Amino acid sequence: MLEVKDLHATVAGKEILKGLSLSVKAGEVHAIMGPNGSGKSTLANVLAGRDNYEITAGSVTFHGKALAELEPEERARLGLFLGFQYPVEIPGVSNMEFLKAALEETRAAQGKEPLDSVTLLRKAREACKQVDLDAQFLKRGVNEGFSGGEKKRNEIMQMLLLEPTLALLDETDSGLDIDALQVVAKGVNSLRSPERAIVLVTHYQRLLDYIVPDKVHVLSGGRIIKSGGKELAHELESRGYAWLTGDAAAENA
Amino acid sequence: MVVHAAELKQAAIQGLTHVTGADGLADFRAHARDTLAAVAFPDRKTEDWKYTSLKALEKDHVRVLAASTDTPALPDLGGTQVVLVNGQIPDLDSLALPAGVIAQPLSSHQDKATTDMVGPFTALNGAALSDGLLLSITAGADVDGLIHIVHVASGTQAASAHPRLVIEVGSNARVTLVEHYIGSSPILTNAVTRIDAHCNSQVTHYRLQSEGSEARHIGLLEFELARDARVTSFQFMQGCALRRNDVHAVMAESGSDLRMKGIFLARGKSHIDNHVCVEHRVPNCESDQVYKGIAGEHGRAVFNGRIHIHDGASGTNAELSNKNLLLSNTAEIDTKPELEIYNDDVKCAHGTTVGQMDATQLFYLRSRGISEIDAKRMLGTGFVNELLLAIPDDAVQAWVTPWLADALTEGL
Repeated sequence: MLEVKDLHATVAGKEILKGLSLSVKAGEVHAIMGPNGSGKSTLANVLAGRDNYEITAGSVTFHGKALAELEPEERARLGLFLGFQYPVEIPGVSNMEFLKAALEETRAAQGKEPLDSVTLLRKAREACKQVDLDAQFLKRGVNEGFSGGEKKRNEIMQMLLLEPTLALLDETDSGLDIDALQVVAKGVNSLRSPERAIVLVTHYQRLLDYIVPDKVHVLSGGRIIKSGGKELAHELESRGYAWLTGDAAAENA
Repeated sequence: MVVHAAELKQAAIQGLTHVTGADGLADFRAHARDTLAAVAFPDRKTEDWKYTSLKALEKDHVRVLAASTDTPALPDLGGTQVVLVNGQIPDLDSLALPAGVIAQPLSSHQDKATTDMVGPFTALNGAALSDGLLLSITAGADVDGLIHIVHVASGTQAASAHPRLVIEVGSNARVTLVEHYIGSSPILTNAVTRIDAHCNSQVTHYRLQSEGSEARHIGLLEFELARDARVTSFQFMQGCALRRNDVHAVMAESGSDLRMKGIFLARGKSHIDNHVCVEHRVPNCESDQVYKGIAGEHGRAVFNGRIHIHDGASGTNAELSNKNLLLSNTAEIDTKPELEIYNDDVKCAHGTTVGQMDATQLFYLRSRGISEIDAKRMLGTGFVNELLLAIPDDAVQAWVTPWLADALTEGL
C-alpha cells in the first residue's frame, strides 16, 4: 500500500530524512519510534504533503501512485489520513461544517454516494461517542479552546468518519492520560481491518500496549536503523535508544 | 490620463450648469454650489485621502446623468422595496409602504436636507441634487418587515448619480432598513444617507454594497442618535474601481447606543476606503465598532476609525476593533485607529491587526481532502463568521452568505 524507497527530504532547505525505506501492506500496523529530532514527524508531514517539506531523492508510492505529484487534498482523497501531533485551532469554522466539506469532497473523489445531512450528523455523533467526545464539540470552532486530549480525540473522530485506508498517527498518544489513551486506542483499533493499514509515530512504548503493532521500526538520523516485531518496542522501553543510535553513528562514520 | 483634482472640480462645476431640480431645494442647491466652489477636491496631500486617489475618475465621471428609465433585475429580500435608479426618486404615490412609514420628496422639507459633514463630494451631491427621498417613521410605529431601499447604478458611460436619502425614525419607533447598492455600471454613485434616530427609537440598518468591479462609489452615511436611541448598523462592502465610504455618527443625547459591524473586501484590482468616525458629545453613551477587512490579489483596503470623545461626554464607553486578512503578498491594507479623548471618565478601547492566512490551518483543512480553494474560502468565511452570525434578519443573512462566498472565491 505504502512504499517508501530511499527517501531523502528537506524541511525549509535542511535535510532531515536521509535514505529512509519502509513498506506497509494492507492490514498491517507499524510503529515508528525514535529519539527526538530523528525525523519521525518530518516523515509524517512529507507523506501528507505539507509545504516546505520537500522530497529531494527517492520515491514514495501510495496505492501505486507517486505521492510527490499529489496535492495534500488528493492524498487525503486517495485514503491517506494524518493525525496531527499538534492539531491547529480554526476559530470561526465549525467542526461540523469542516467535517461536511471534508466528507463531501473525499467521498465525491472516491466515487461514493454523498451523505445527506441527517446521515452525516448521525455518523458524526456516533464517531464523537466512540471517542468519548460530547456532540456539542461538533458545533464549536475546529479545535477551538479544546484541551490537548480533546484535540487528539477530535483527530480520531475525524479519522473514524473519513475511513482512510492508511492512518498515519503522529504522536497521537503524547500528552494523553491513561484513560484518554485507552479511548484513542479503542478508536484506532476499531478501524483495523484487512484493507487498512496504520502507522503509529510515537515516542512511548505505552501506546503499543493498547494498539499492538505487527512491525516496529527505529528511526534515527533520518533513516530506519532497526526493524523488528512488537518485542522490539519492549526492548527499547528497557534499553533506550543509545545502543542503537550508537551503532548508527558507527555505521555512518 | 490622470485628471488633476482641480480639473475634476472644474469639470464638476461646469457640469452643473444644466442641472435643474425641484424648486423646493433651490436654496439648498445654491448653498451647496457655493460650498463646492469653496472647497478643494482631495489629492495625495490631503491627509484624509492619503491612501485613496481619484485616478479612477475621469472628467466625465462628475457629469450628472439624465434620468434613467431602466428597470433592472432587483434582489429580493422579502421586504418593501423602494428603488432609486441613478439617484432618481421613484413615483412616491405608487409606493405601497407599510403602516408607519411615510415617503416624501426631500424638496418638501429643504431644512432636513443638510448634513453635519460637508466635504467636496457631499457638496457636489447637494449641488447636483434634483430631489432626494425623505422617509419618516412615525413615532411609536413598529414597522413590519424590511424597508429595502435599492440604489441602482445604470448606464455604460462615465457619468455620475447623486442619491440623497434622509430617514427620520420617530420616538419609540422600531424599523429595519436596508440600503442596497447594485449595478454593473461604471458610473460614479455619490451617495448621501442620513439617519436620525429620535428618542428611544430602535433602528437596524444594513448597508449592502455589491456593485460590479467597474463601479465608482463615494458615499457619506450619517447617524444622529437622540436620547436612548439604539442603532445597529451592518455594513457589507465590496471593493470596486473606487469605493470611499465615510461614516459619521453623532451620539447627540445621553443613553444612546450604537453598534456597527462591517465586512469589507478588496479583491482583484479593487479599492475600498472606509473612514468611520463616532462622536460622543454627551455623557453615558455607548458605541461599539467591529470591522473586518479582507484583501487579495492587487486589492487595496483602507480603514480609518476615529473615536472623538468630547469634554462633556463622561461615562462614555467606546470600542473599536478592525482586524484584517491579507490573501496575497500584492494586496495591501492600511488601518489606523484615531482616538481623540477630552474626558477622563471614559472607557475606550481599540485594536487593529493585519495578518495573513495561516498556512498551518490551510494545510490542516487540505489534509482532510478539502480543496485549496474551498479551504481558503472556509478560512476567509471563518475569519468574519462572528459578524455573519450576528445578523438578526434571516433574509439578509441569506443574501450575505453567498455574496461573501462568491467574493472570497473570486481570483482564488
